[in-house]
Amino acid sequence: MAWKFDNPLHTLCTDDQNEKAKAVWEGESLGGITEDNNRLPPPIIGILLLTIVTAFLITFPLWGQRPNAAIYEEYIALMDSPAIQGKSDAEAMEYMVNKVKADGSKWAHLQERHPLEMDDLRLIKDAIIELKQQKADLREFNILGDAVVMANFEGNWITDPNTGEIRRERVQPWWDKGYTIDIFFIVFFCLGVMIAVKRLPDYGWEPKHFGH
Amino acid sequence: MFKYLFAKAEDIPAGSAAVYFGFSSIIWFVIGTGLGSFNAAKLAFPDFVTGSEILSFGHMRQVHVLAVILGWISMAFAMAMMYITPALGNTKLWSEKLGVWNCFLWNIGLSLGLFLLWMGVSSGREYSDMPFVIDVVVILGLLTPLCVNVFMTIKTRRTQGIYTTNWFFGAATFMVIIVFTVGNSPEFFQLTGLTEAYLTWWFAHNVLGLWITPVAAAISYYVVPKVTGNPLYSHRIGHLHFWSVVVFYSTPAAHHLMSAPLPEWLKSFASVEGVLILVPAIAFVSNLLLTMTGKWRMFVENIEIKFTITGVLMAIPLNMQGGFQQTRAINWYIHGTGWIVAHAHLALLGFSTFLEAAAVYYGLQTLLRRKLYSLGLANFHFWMLLIGFTTYWISITIAGLIQGAGKIYEVPYIDVVIAEHPYMIARWVGGTMVFLGNCVWLYNMYKTARAGTAIPAGRLPHELAYER
Repeated sequence: MAWKFDNPLHTLCTDDQNEKAKAVWEGESLGGITEDNNRLPPPIIGILLLTIVTAFLITFPLWGQRPNAAIYEEYIALMDSPAIQGKSDAEAMEYMVNKVKADGSKWAHLQERHPLEMDDLRLIKDAIIELKQQKADLREFNILGDAVVMANFEGNWITDPNTGEIRRERVQPWWDKGYTIDIFFIVFFCLGVMIAVKRLPDYGWEPKHFGH
Repeated sequence: MFKYLFAKAEDIPAGSAAVYFGFSSIIWFVIGTGLGSFNAAKLAFPDFVTGSEILSFGHMRQVHVLAVILGWISMAFAMAMMYITPALGNTKLWSEKLGVWNCFLWNIGLSLGLFLLWMGVSSGREYSDMPFVIDVVVILGLLTPLCVNVFMTIKTRRTQGIYTTNWFFGAATFMVIIVFTVGNSPEFFQLTGLTEAYLTWWFAHNVLGLWITPVAAAISYYVVPKVTGNPLYSHRIGHLHFWSVVVFYSTPAAHHLMSAPLPEWLKSFASVEGVLILVPAIAFVSNLLLTMTGKWRMFVENIEIKFTITGVLMAIPLNMQGGFQQTRAINWYIHGTGWIVAHAHLALLGFSTFLEAAAVYYGLQTLLRRKLYSLGLANFHFWMLLIGFTTYWISITIAGLIQGAGKIYEVPYIDVVIAEHPYMIARWVGGTMVFLGNCVWLYNMYKTARAGTAIPAGRLPHELAYER
């Protein structure tokens, strides 16, 4: 078995193995059923490639975008402002959302995607204030329900500005939305199918079945 | 059937198990669609049969679902496996007696399970509604003997290669046991919360993905080349179909729970894998349609090809829907609406039913050595099924879109009910047409067994002109 790099579609089998496979292929009627050795028509290969690309593109912007603690920092800063005193929770939340939007926030996109209520804010407020006092990078913390937890990402090695410790950055990179596992899946699938198919005689060979 | 349960193995005629499975499947189809029609009537006419608890929708719905899945579809599959697996291995079924027992236990186990469901003894999990005792019966009494028989028949084959259909049969009978065992683990081990939800939908998804879809496709890989006389277009595309079903169809269960607090990566993974289901779908449809080259007249003239190719063509909208309705944006709109009910019926009553019906038509004629009693009745059955199903599918899809709009725009529930009422009536009409068509089919097959023209030795049913 040898992989021919100059001809990737060439069979992986030796000539002997191919001859044997051809004899079996042509000799067996399989209860009256026979199988041909055609390749996929090019338009269908195109559709398959388009499908794989579509699968990634269509979910790309939505994949695993977690809300980090930084996106709620502006809301929390407004929670004690006089402007919301005396307002109901819903009114206060609406005011804060509109104010942050009007002032322009770099997190506007994520704030819109991960809205929350005043009660949610109350639950995470203390934890976020404490993190700020520790000069932590809020982008490295995710909001999971009522908990503010360290983000589950392992990025580049950095020197922690506060402690001087060398550690991995935990900010979610723009490109890592949890699809790495899919790429592995696709790669192994394609390799598997290619090896399975390349064990067969070459595409160019046409079996001669009884009566066909 | 009873006389063969304790008969000597050599006294049981070859094909008996397949014939019993075939007729059982048609009877369960009549029962299942009858229940469907009854349930649809309750949705269309709210005053229809009230006051009786066990005839209420909540008691009847899961009886309909499981009668169709385990009765009609799975028994038609078992029927197909009992005659196609040996035919493709140039051998006999490994154990005809095990097959007959399998059929007997299947009918008993299913009747018992459905009776318990009807009485309200239910696990309350959609698709895996059966209480755990019945789940054990399904695994050990129904699916395992079938798997053993199929595997041993493939093992004792007298051909060197294994044709695509038999890969699917072998793999699916094994995988469905795993699906039932793992999928019902919330019940066996009292799992709760998200784990329960995920495993319940892992089960529901994989019953479709690793049992119904691949076996239905496998049947058409047999019927189309056999009846048309054309060789299967490509062995290689068969490879692609098989492996992509195993890889892509087994993983996206989380797409049923896109709004649940499951890990984000799992939902993303499900979305991508969901769209990738189009890979086996395209491979399957193109392989079958290319096999038809030069024989398209049979799509009009031949009843088995008519059913099979209609089913294959339905795989196109089915998989387009399936691929995209699990992306979050679309899922957000249609989740929990009639759209999903319509999609499920496109899979089970459209795509797979048409393929199984072809297998049962073809298999019963071949095994009984009798030509179909009436082609007219068979065509009537085909059109009742097609028009009835289409009416059902379109009306529930529209009703689903109305429900989706109502959900998003917070329309009062009763206004949505009023808006979808005409479509509920259309649903009942369509479902009832399917039921009536099946009654005709049962009659036609009964008459075929009794009074069909005998097929001479060495000939196949589709080679003969219709006469009686």
